[in-house]
Amino acid sequence: MAAVESLPPGTPSAMRNAFGTVLSALILVLIGVLAFSIRLFSVIKYESVIHEFDPYFNYRVTQFLSKNGIYEFWNWFDDRTWYPLGRVIGGTVYPGLTLTAGTIWWVLNAINIPLSVETVCVFTAPVFSAFASWATYLLTKEVKGSGAGLAAAALLAMVPSYISRSVAGSYDNEAVAIFALIFTFYLYIKTLNTGSLFYATLNAIAYFYMVCSWGGYTFIINLIPMHVLLCIVTGRYSPRLYIAYAPLVVLGTLLAALVPVVGFNAVLTSEHFASFLVFIIIHVVALVYYIKGILTPKMFKVAVTLVVSIGLVVCLIVVAVLVALVASSPTGGWSGRSLSLLDPTYASKYIPIIASVSEHQPPTWPSYFMDINVLAFLVPAGIIACFSPLSDASSFVVLYIVMSVYFSGVMVRLMLVLAPAACIMSGIALSQAFDVFTGSIKYQLSSKSKDDAEDNTSTKNAPKDDASSGKADKGEEVAKERLSKKGKKKEREPAEKPSVKSKIVKKKALVLPLEASIVALLLLIMLGAFYVIHCVWAAAEAYSAPSIVLTSQSHDGLHVFDDFRESYAWLSHNTDVDDKVASWWDYGYQTTAMANRTVIVDNNTWNNTHIATVGTAMSSPEKAAWEIFNSLDVKYVLVVFGGVIGYPSDDINKFLWMVRIGGGEFPHIKEADYLRDGQYRIDSEATPTMLNCLMYKLCYYRFVETDGKGYDRVRRTEIGKKHFKLTHFEEVFTSHHWMVRIYKLKPQKNRIRGRVKKLKQKTSSGVSSKSVKKNPWM
Amino acid sequence: MAIDKKLLSLLLLVSSLSSIASASFSDPDSDSDLTNELASLRSNSESGVIHLDDHGISKFLISSPTPRPYSILVFFDATQLHSKTELRLQELRREFGLVSATFLANNNGSDLNKLFFCEIEFSRSQSSFQRFGVNALPHIRLVTASTAKLSDESGQMDQSDFARLAESMAEFVEQRTKLTVGPIQRPPFLSKAQISVIVAMIVIATPFVIKRILRGETLLHDHRLWLSGAIFIYFFSVAGTMHNIIRKMPMFLQDRNDPNKLVFFYQGSGMQLGAEGFAVGFLYTVVGLLLAFVTNVLVRVRNLNVQRLVMLVALVVSSWAVKQVVYLDNWKTGYGIHPYWPSSWQ
Repeated sequence: MAAVESLPPGTPSAMRNAFGTVLSALILVLIGVLAFSIRLFSVIKYESVIHEFDPYFNYRVTQFLSKNGIYEFWNWFDDRTWYPLGRVIGGTVYPGLTLTAGTIWWVLNAINIPLSVETVCVFTAPVFSAFASWATYLLTKEVKGSGAGLAAAALLAMVPSYISRSVAGSYDNEAVAIFALIFTFYLYIKTLNTGSLFYATLNAIAYFYMVCSWGGYTFIINLIPMHVLLCIVTGRYSPRLYIAYAPLVVLGTLLAALVPVVGFNAVLTSEHFASFLVFIIIHVVALVYYIKGILTPKMFKVAVTLVVSIGLVVCLIVVAVLVALVASSPTGGWSGRSLSLLDPTYASKYIPIIASVSEHQPPTWPSYFMDINVLAFLVPAGIIACFSPLSDASSFVVLYIVMSVYFSGVMVRLMLVLAPAACIMSGIALSQAFDVFTGSIKYQLSSKSKDDAEDNTSTKNAPKDDASSGKADKGEEVAKERLSKKGKKKEREPAEKPSVKSKIVKKKALVLPLEASIVALLLLIMLGAFYVIHCVWAAAEAYSAPSIVLTSQSHDGLHVFDDFRESYAWLSHNTDVDDKVASWWDYGYQTTAMANRTVIVDNNTWNNTHIATVGTAMSSPEKAAWEIFNSLDVKYVLVVFGGVIGYPSDDINKFLWMVRIGGGEFPHIKEADYLRDGQYRIDSEATPTMLNCLMYKLCYYRFVETDGKGYDRVRRTEIGKKHFKLTHFEEVFTSHHWMVRIYKLKPQKNRIRGRVKKLKQKTSSGVSSKSVKKNPWM
Repeated sequence: MAIDKKLLSLLLLVSSLSSIASASFSDPDSDSDLTNELASLRSNSESGVIHLDDHGISKFLISSPTPRPYSILVFFDATQLHSKTELRLQELRREFGLVSATFLANNNGSDLNKLFFCEIEFSRSQSSFQRFGVNALPHIRLVTASTAKLSDESGQMDQSDFARLAESMAEFVEQRTKLTVGPIQRPPFLSKAQISVIVAMIVIATPFVIKRILRGETLLHDHRLWLSGAIFIYFFSVAGTMHNIIRKMPMFLQDRNDPNKLVFFYQGSGMQLGAEGFAVGFLYTVVGLLLAFVTNVLVRVRNLNVQRLVMLVALVVSSWAVKQVVYLDNWKTGYGIHPYWPSSWQ
């Protein structure tokens, strides 16, 4: 503090501060523009469409919301999906994203900007990624000052992991949830730094928004209690910690229970128990500190034994109750996804439907390089910077990175949660490195020039202040915020002491050699440039494809494969409104949203048996499959086939999962029957079960007519069974590149007419009825 | 007491002699006798795995006529190969015993005597190994009731069938023999006595621990411990170790073309080897550590030349590490980025 106060309070420093604020604001605006515009590659390269699978459902819900209003939406029972069960959309969906986009659409329309719902949906994610980078700035500023904040915000604006989930058109929960996650953390840290109830309340509301948006909110409600516990255990308990935590648990849990999809889960499932346990512990600890404050040390010693024993008893009782509750449920009260985080091998053993999703696989090291790129190199430096000195706020971000990096190691999907933490850490590291390197360059340049002009002893102090001014500014800001808030003197003192100490340390000239600093600076800038190039490349090439329209670049130009929309359009124009379409669950959302037809299963995989039924039908021979589909009132069966153009994520490649999931519920389907010596093949070596199952037949029906040989370009082999006829299904539509094929179930022949025929035959030729075929379709 | 023991052993001797006598005097072709003998052998062996030698093989499998009333699952063991850990013989043998014990526990009545678990040891029954045509371990073979020729390899358990240890072995058995093994019952990690001792120790220790926490003197208050823990978890995760654990990846592979050469790096992005992950995890971590060292520690060093030297080393190592990771990633995934220059520049 001494160094700062000794500066003359005249205009130059005030000007500098004002200039710094304006510059920061300008940089933040630019970062927002960057975050928005780097996500527009998909619109520029393709068109303004909704991407992939889940976004189509969200889009459909948003359409419904904007058309019918919030109350209708809340009570919406959707009979277009999960036929014949249907789905209560209002009660099973995280409404945050749709409500957000619906509100944006409504506001825009109210001020006479007539955007379509689709346009609003497409651009929601880029807008929110700009918000997310501003939230990152705020969070990092609370931890290590505004320099680190700006660096972290710039890094987050273009981190590939986040881009992959928030390009224009990727209208999914994560798009708004990452913003909500970072903002909730920011408000928690802000409350922790200020001890203000105002921020604590805001924190609970931000948490509510997060609960509305994404199932990942359990990460918050476990991470914050862990941090509180950590603070208590390491002796960092303070009233600020209490204010930051207790209102969050009480208000947050009450608010979370308001979201229909969460409801009483907020108090009943194990994911939330950690927060309640810590809630009890923090009260015990608060009591101990309170008693310590009003008693003499001797009395306190007596009291400690009393309180500790009572606290222990209370804790034991609570733990016993929890254990009893948990033991009474089969999975221990944990959802499958959470369990597979704790025991990574859980999903692969017991829940094929979770294990089958590619984003639930554990990542290898190249994934880290792809998703956070050079940040992976900088994070350790950020962690160390957070430890010198360790504050409540910096211990939180350390905990955040440690937890998220571990979880990302289990499930590649959680790389998304790691990305903000990695950006914050790298921002801190970069800012510290720049501080040191530019500081030493500046110090040595100025001291050289002054050496020439004046006596060096008298000038030694000034450049030092200059060199450390960047740090001093930040220290000043943090300290100011703490001082400006109303608080007890006791709280203020520990906040001031370390800063005084650190100033004394800084009095020594902390510099590095000039030339080495310049080289290091250049290398750091090169590293940053590489990051930018990688991110732009990733945004443009790797993550911009909408996967509903495919393109391929070959020597004779660009090919566009628009088969999906072609076929959904065919369905909506050529089939009856109430016809039921069966397909593997991946295409359920798209079929309901784009073709407006009823589906049997969709991407909301809530009913395993129903999915297993479809899987069983696909793995059964034609007749058995016909019977299953007929019992579900299915009129059309849709399969996706990539063998003609070499599209690898088609149904034949997903087929083994259908067998596994089907076999999980219906044991007569056995995976081994579809494998030849443990290998999955569709060529002449394939097993008869494989060659006769419905999926094989629907995909490869008439396939040999395309090239005369039946060469599958995905499996890179000739198919095993080339010429066959369908008995129970008829082909009604095959898209331009054969990617989507739609079949109609043949109607059951009229039995009475058959009997009449039989009678006729009997009378004419006298053939006995036994020789007549029983099969009504032949 | 000594007399008692002697008496007991005498009784045992007599009873076993009589059982041998009854076995040898009765009709050797009788199926039920063979089954009974196997059952009695089983009841005498640990976890129900019968130790067979050449004699036993010829008796129970070769000389008996084919449809036998029982199937036999044979585990081929070799003590001299136990030292080779990559074969996992001992682990597989334990799991084999588990399957056997589970089968015994979950079946009673007629099904119990339809399947016997046996093991053959190489050094004592080499000719049996030849008869089965086994020349590579680990090897588990099911000899079904109808198998006539022992060299018939259709009953061999695939690598994939013991990949998930006892569970997948049980699946194999259930699938081939149509018998039920049931869920594998693993012995608990800690016995009840151990658990109670641990709980008691925790209860006794808690007041002391709480006292120390209140004083602020525990290891937990040491920042360096937390720091190194955090860095370690970071290293552990970015190295993809969870992938190696979940997928049970080996540290390295043997080159198929040249058995003396070891493969440390696997080409293709979906998979990685253990050593490869640690190497890259180290590269990821070392750059940040060096940067932190330079900005936090080196700035306090007074000697300019030491600073220069250390920075030189740090810069060279860092840029080498970054380059190496980019190169490896390029090689492994075929990753190739390119910047987007304005078209007029080209």
